[in-house]
Amino acid sequence: METCYVKLPTLILMWRAGAGSFALIACFFRASLCAEGLVNEDVKRTLDLSSHLAKITAEIQLANHGASRVSGFTLALEAELAPHLAFIGASVKGEEEEDESLELKETTVHGQSGKFFEAQLPSSLAPGAKLRVKVETVFSHMLKPFPTHITQAERQLVVFQGNHYLYSPYPTRSQTTRVRLASKTVESYTKLGNPTKSDETVEYGPFKDVPPFSQDAMKIHYENNTPFITISSVTRTIEVSHWGNIAVEETIDLRHTGAFLKGPFSRYDYQRQSDSGISSVKSFKTILPASAQDVYYRDEIGNISTSHLQVLDDSVEVEIRPRFPLFGGWKTHYIIGYNLPSYEYLYNLGDQYALKIRLVDHVYDDQVIDQLTVKLILPEGARNIHVDTPYPITRSQDELHYTYLDTFGRPVLVATKNNLVEQHIQDVVVHYTFNKILMLQEPLLVVGLFYILFFTVIIYVRLDFSITKDPAAEVRMKVASITEQVLTLVNKRLGLYRHMDEVVNRYKQTRDTGALNSGRKTLEAEHRTLSNDISALQARLKAEGSDLAEKVGEIQKLDNQLKDLVCRSCQEAERLVAGKVKKDAYIDSDKTLSGKRQELVSRIDSLLDAL
Amino acid sequence: TRSCLLCVKMTKLGFLRLSYEKQDTLLKLLILSMAAHPNTCLNELFLVGSYFNYRTTRFLTEEGFYKFHNWFDDRAWYPLGRIIGGTIYPGLMITSAALYHVLHFFHITIDIRNVCVFLAPLFSSFTAIVTYHFTKELKDAGAGLLAAAMIAVVPGYISRSVAGSYDNEGTILSQRYVVYSNAFKKASIGKVLEFVKYQIETYTLLFKSLVLFLYWLMLGKISPWTGRFYSLLDPSYAKNNIPIIASVSEHQPTTWSSYYFDLQLLVFMFPVGLYYCFNNLSDATIFIIMYGVTSMYFSAVMVRLMLVLAPVMCILSGIGVSQVLTTYMKNLDVSRPDKKSKKQQDSTYPIKNEVASGMILVMAFFLITYTFHSTWVTSEAYSSPSIVLSARGGDGSRIIFDDFREAYYWLRHNTPEDAKVMSWWDYGYQITAMANRTILVDNNTWNNTHISRVGQAMASTEEKAYEIMRELDVSYVLVIFGGLTGYSSDDINKFLWMVRIGGSTDTGRHIKEHDYYTPTGEFRVDREGSPVLLNCLMYKMCYYRFGQVYTEAKRPPGYDRVRNAEIGNKDFELDVLEEAYTTEHWLVRIYKVKDLDNRGLSRT
Repeated sequence: METCYVKLPTLILMWRAGAGSFALIACFFRASLCAEGLVNEDVKRTLDLSSHLAKITAEIQLANHGASRVSGFTLALEAELAPHLAFIGASVKGEEEEDESLELKETTVHGQSGKFFEAQLPSSLAPGAKLRVKVETVFSHMLKPFPTHITQAERQLVVFQGNHYLYSPYPTRSQTTRVRLASKTVESYTKLGNPTKSDETVEYGPFKDVPPFSQDAMKIHYENNTPFITISSVTRTIEVSHWGNIAVEETIDLRHTGAFLKGPFSRYDYQRQSDSGISSVKSFKTILPASAQDVYYRDEIGNISTSHLQVLDDSVEVEIRPRFPLFGGWKTHYIIGYNLPSYEYLYNLGDQYALKIRLVDHVYDDQVIDQLTVKLILPEGARNIHVDTPYPITRSQDELHYTYLDTFGRPVLVATKNNLVEQHIQDVVVHYTFNKILMLQEPLLVVGLFYILFFTVIIYVRLDFSITKDPAAEVRMKVASITEQVLTLVNKRLGLYRHMDEVVNRYKQTRDTGALNSGRKTLEAEHRTLSNDISALQARLKAEGSDLAEKVGEIQKLDNQLKDLVCRSCQEAERLVAGKVKKDAYIDSDKTLSGKRQELVSRIDSLLDAL
Repeated sequence: TRSCLLCVKMTKLGFLRLSYEKQDTLLKLLILSMAAHPNTCLNELFLVGSYFNYRTTRFLTEEGFYKFHNWFDDRAWYPLGRIIGGTIYPGLMITSAALYHVLHFFHITIDIRNVCVFLAPLFSSFTAIVTYHFTKELKDAGAGLLAAAMIAVVPGYISRSVAGSYDNEGTILSQRYVVYSNAFKKASIGKVLEFVKYQIETYTLLFKSLVLFLYWLMLGKISPWTGRFYSLLDPSYAKNNIPIIASVSEHQPTTWSSYYFDLQLLVFMFPVGLYYCFNNLSDATIFIIMYGVTSMYFSAVMVRLMLVLAPVMCILSGIGVSQVLTTYMKNLDVSRPDKKSKKQQDSTYPIKNEVASGMILVMAFFLITYTFHSTWVTSEAYSSPSIVLSARGGDGSRIIFDDFREAYYWLRHNTPEDAKVMSWWDYGYQITAMANRTILVDNNTWNNTHISRVGQAMASTEEKAYEIMRELDVSYVLVIFGGLTGYSSDDINKFLWMVRIGGSTDTGRHIKEHDYYTPTGEFRVDREGSPVLLNCLMYKMCYYRFGQVYTEAKRPPGYDRVRNAEIGNKDFELDVLEEAYTTEHWLVRIYKVKDLDNRGLSRT
């Protein structure tokens, strides 16, 4: 009677749950189906604790002992470790020694705590078949300094707390765990199954037939003086210019996250004793791309003079030395920036552009970045922006950035991610379209600005903005313009004489008197008009009260003489042709005449120069 | 003068077929733009005052004018604070902030820091242009061009106007000259010289009121408030009465060598210019004579007033050189060597042409050496930020001591936000700007008693000093120590001033300068030194653990390379302080003031 009483409500409850409950059962069924029949035949775990990171690698031989084919398997992480996870990756060890990485998707497993990932196999595993899988995980901030505060003379001890076994949803037949430490000095370690310790390693196992989800606390307390530096935040700004340059700038907050320095800092000890402040960080190396140029390393108060740059074949190495050594708990802040040629990172097909650049770059070996902000500044006018990230990353609202000659702003993509390690140094690809005409916008803007500037200057110079008249300046300008005219006229007149000479020479050969007479007539006529013009100008100069009028008068006088000479030479030529003079006599007289003319012309020239 | 010659040459060569006026303008523009080209190189702030001005400018641009106006700075003069908005001359900050906003309006995204760094060179180039106009009003364009070219390179002015010196002094000159030259321009057009009359009247008024003021002072009716001002009138005033003013290196009387170092040729051409001005007395020249002579007097009182002297030196020398050149350029017979003219030579002036060309060559030589000297001085003495020291290593390589910034940056990032730093006032502005921490005293030495209190702490024994430091709520103490590197302007060498200033107020009556000397009246840090000195806080902070350091070969440990002596007190421990940080070359040492012991036991 009593048994029946208990059973009945349960049944009713199950009926009442209806459809929802059915779905839940189905889900559970599916998850267990995945696990069904899979067994970890042989597991080799390696815990690398030689740096400030905990890198746990497990090589697993999976066997399908079930009846049906299996298309995927589940990876599990302990609840204590899960928050520290920075990176997880799984790969299948192929027969030809070629690893094939697997895609991981986070899932949950009913009734179990921790973090779970489902890995999809490239080809399903037949019943009875075996597979070798390598799982790589990196945890940050897992090594806790103990004691938490040390003096400058003390060494840094840290504690690692983990699991002796592989945390797995499948039973494990056999497994070994090998722990690599940073030094020989080990304060204590858990002694499950009599581990063997040699130099810097502790080896556990083999453990046989471990049930699923087994946990057994492992604790190792050892000396670790490797640099415990953490990038508490980094802002990486990548500014793309289509004029051939990509500017990269990283603003970095650095902190020593090892044991805090207790008591005084003694520079004397630090300089004299090599093991003083052994856990402190003096410098580290940052590796930049090989094409990095114009590298700068500075902070809020200026350039940091303590750094070295080394250009190698495949990279540029910067030895970053903070202004002061970093002891436990100390922090610093700096900016490093450089330029890259865009042809190595920017690809285009017509108006379609693709930028392929590292989302995060190397700062120091075994780096840990607590918080990353990436700002990608694309050129003004970039549209249809699409981003392919190598791993999920949080995108924030896009921003606009204004710099030199920008009008409507450059689009800025902002993305953030927490807890990154070296494995995250991967490329991001940004696709966008950009109209090439827009390249001309900025040069045109500059041209336009200069145009406006020159134009205003021209206007300002040409127009008279003075409110008072300056008669002297006006007279000067008038005189200048008149003398200019005089100059051209006088030169023209001198040209006439040269022309006349040619006419005379021709006459001497052809003996054509008609041509000579007409030439003489034109000379007379043109000379009269020019002389009249010059006299008119001279009169105007005189009216302006300029002393240049006298000089012009002098020119006129000289010119009269000159003209006489020209006429004389003309007559001489006529007489020669008529046979009235001998050739020798003519040559003599011609010489004296041209000599006189030369002198007159040079005098006129010097007068003109003085004008 | 020079330009005329050049013009003639250029037309002869057929370079330019412009009218004479246009050529003149072009040449003037060329020379002026060369003179006005800003001489810049680095983008670091150089001088101590610049840091404060930069900090206030940044505040103004970030927070806006009204917040700036109401700004009460609790970072300085702890626990008094300083009302910055009301106690500074905001012209400089407003100018750069306005420039910054205008540039940003046009999307020229220049950092405010760069605006500050390049403001001084910008204004110095304005000064060159304005000097040209000013001198042109006094004499002619030739003299103006010479003066502009001279002021462009004169070290005395460059020292205050290189990129990175961000101070009122560097920028104010150009503005002042704009006023002067405008006034003279008006005057030269023909209006009455009211301006200068007005100026002279103000001067006389000022003088009268001064006499009255001094008279009152003697009666003891007005308390002294601007000691710097008195020391201008009476150079010995500060030395006798206010040690704080006398202690500043910039307030020391100027030596002859520094005149030559900063002005070179100008020192000799200045009287020539004065002579010319006396020969051609007009209101304008009288003004420049007065200006020149009074600046000469003031610059002799304090080194820092060299800045006032340098431009007027340039103007007067420009006039002088130009006068010499025009005189002899006229005698220079540039026409073709004609046999006739030689016969007609003046019998009273036998080798006129040779003398003229010789004079011009000598002048040209002087001018060239002047430019070389100026470049050398500028690159040697005024181009490196005072915050970075450098020395030559044994192998001739350059060693940089960047210890100041190392220490300040350490303070900025590794001390609590509200930490109070005690140091001698010289480093106050730098600490607030670079370390962003609260300080007790800074370069704005307005409160004598407060500085005196810090001096007392430095000059007392640890026990006494701890009381003062607790009273002032000090968490860190910073000292500059050059004993390891040989940096001579460190705190031990300044220490006597701390003693004097510390002893100059009531609370420090027990501090007597002679206690810190040996019986023979020497200031020594070695075994012979006075025990009071060897046990005071400053001594202990500088030499803590220094007794173990070997600084030079064949010398005992603890050999001070500045004082050239083995220190007298070697093995001691600090009771109330602990070493918090010492920079790489021991230039800056920072100590943390220990908390009170539990149960109120005294520390010592």
